[in-house]
Amino acid sequence: MAEASTQHDDNNETKSRRDFLLLIPLALFASMAATIAAAAFRYLRPTRIFGEAVWTDIGPLSQFTGARPIMRSLETERAAGWANMVEEHFVFVLPDKNYQVLSAACPHEGCNVIWRDEDRNFFCPCHDSSFAADGSRLSGPARRGLDPLPSQTENGTLKVKYQSFVNNTSERVVRG
Amino acid sequence: MAEEVDRKGAAVWLARSTAFDEVLRVLVDEPTEGFSAWARTTAGIVAMLLALQFVTGALLSFYYLPSTEGAHTTVAYIEKVASAGYWFRSLHHYGSQLLTLFLVLHLAQKFWRRAYARKPVAWIATVLLLAFVMASGATGYSLPWDASAFFSTRIGEGMASGLPLLGETARRWLLGGTEISPLTLVRLFALHVLVVPFIILLVVIARLFIFREISGEEMRRAWVRNQFVRNATSASVVFFALALFATRIHAPLGPPATELLPGYLPRPGAQFLWLFQLLKYLPGRLALAAAAILLLIIFMTLIALPFLSLASLREITGRPRRLIGRAVFATMLALFFTLTALAYIGDLRDPRVREQLAHQRADEQAFLNEPFEPLRMGVTEEQDAASGRHGDAASASGNFNGSGNSNSQTSSVSSSTPPAAYTKNCSSCHGSRGQGFFPYPKLTGVSAKPNRTVEDLIAIMNNPEAYGLKPPMKSFAGKLSDTEAREIAEWVETLKKPQSGRR
Repeated sequence: MAEASTQHDDNNETKSRRDFLLLIPLALFASMAATIAAAAFRYLRPTRIFGEAVWTDIGPLSQFTGARPIMRSLETERAAGWANMVEEHFVFVLPDKNYQVLSAACPHEGCNVIWRDEDRNFFCPCHDSSFAADGSRLSGPARRGLDPLPSQTENGTLKVKYQSFVNNTSERVVRG
Repeated sequence: MAEEVDRKGAAVWLARSTAFDEVLRVLVDEPTEGFSAWARTTAGIVAMLLALQFVTGALLSFYYLPSTEGAHTTVAYIEKVASAGYWFRSLHHYGSQLLTLFLVLHLAQKFWRRAYARKPVAWIATVLLLAFVMASGATGYSLPWDASAFFSTRIGEGMASGLPLLGETARRWLLGGTEISPLTLVRLFALHVLVVPFIILLVVIARLFIFREISGEEMRRAWVRNQFVRNATSASVVFFALALFATRIHAPLGPPATELLPGYLPRPGAQFLWLFQLLKYLPGRLALAAAAILLLIIFMTLIALPFLSLASLREITGRPRRLIGRAVFATMLALFFTLTALAYIGDLRDPRVREQLAHQRADEQAFLNEPFEPLRMGVTEEQDAASGRHGDAASASGNFNGSGNSNSQTSSVSSSTPPAAYTKNCSSCHGSRGQGFFPYPKLTGVSAKPNRTVEDLIAIMNNPEAYGLKPPMKSFAGKLSDTEAREIAEWVETLKKPQSGRR
């Protein structure tokens, strides 16, 4: 080979020098890649999606009468990177339970439960969990009753602090 | 292969298991030493910058949203919030300008030693790379959808329409319609991130792996490897210089295109300044057509160069032809750099231009210092317009009149309804609730700007030109009663800019 003949006189010293030379570009590429990778790691790191739980008006107390749970909707806003997510949630007010407010999210997989007046229970259309009129668990795969939300009355208006809970646990764990 | 047997580790593996040595041999031309060997490392720098554009481009696409509503906000997020986001943007922005520069230098260097005659495919590949890198730059400038992006799109539109014969067709195909619209941005996005990079990759692959031109004599392996080390060294010097530069200098990002102010002076990126300067010397309507044709001619000539210097042709014309060629190419290069310099000098010398540009830079800086404003997502149009945004609970238990104030801390539009005179006269451009209607400016937040009190707003409606507003904003003097004008002005005054989220 042409190369082999021209290199014939090379002693060990120049050979090792050439091998060393080849390490230079490798080291340079590695340092460029590492610079980019370190910044890219910080840049791509998942963002924390957060929103403060705030007191939300859900209506004057005078609206909440009778023996049936009354459904209301409210919106929350959470920051997710460049977006502010506006999400609608449903709650049930129990007029005969001292205006207790329950989240409509089923503690099993998070579907919204409905109130079935003929059976006087809450029913989840997704996996058939059912809950008593006070929210306690009756049957189905859910592992706990409906989640109560902090609520208070101010100047005759019912306010609620909306929270989401971790699905499928027997203890209530606030998410976020 | 005695040499390889003596080698160890990575060197043996590279030589035996990859086409590494082969690719290096295809890449390099005749062996040289000293300055001319270093001059040829423009190749390594171009390769590094090309790779950098792919990497930073991919990273930017992780947050970018190609829509006229979202583009500017998401770029502002990268610029202001995302960690190291501004650095990647700056690398991508200035990297593309450097890439163009080094491709031109690379071509010049190849031209000077007549490499186009020895390795025509490599030459054509480089010319194609330059053309598509410039196309990538042209489409990329539109993506942030700020004021300068809007003008960049306008210039692209003009140049497409300047193409001979197919002008109007090219313009519509580029815009995706008869006018600039939300479709245009998505189209430019697709060209910038998928079509053009794909073509660039094809050119690179063809150059490295398909056309195997090995010039003249068998090259010494040692020299090829030394040249590789030189390339890597040059590339890393340029990389770290750019990386440091990008930590200090942000890529420009102005206020959104919808807040375009009259008198705005668009300035293209550095790689297009020569073209921009050239347009100043050409008469009005011809200018864009001439620029489009000129670009075509330049690239056609460059691609044709290897075929023009075939041996048979050279025999006819002899040596002076080569000198003429060099002179033409050198003139082109000189023009390119002179026009670029003239563009900078021209801006510096005219005091009014200097003032306006300084003003625009101040606006950009002010925008960068403003807190980031997130996009509001997930709320429907009707809910937003109904001010309180009360969700109409589809509840079995009757109507829901509760306060819809919910817990949101932001209100992107005013909570009061606009006066009838506004809806009748203003809403077709400024939106039903002052939110603006592309490309007309929004009115939300104008009260925070200087010279926009209620009295000012009334005066603007009567005589917009006195406030420096240009058509299509027209005077409403005589068309609005004083009461109506005052009602509108007072209502516009209440339109607050959306407050920033919790950041």
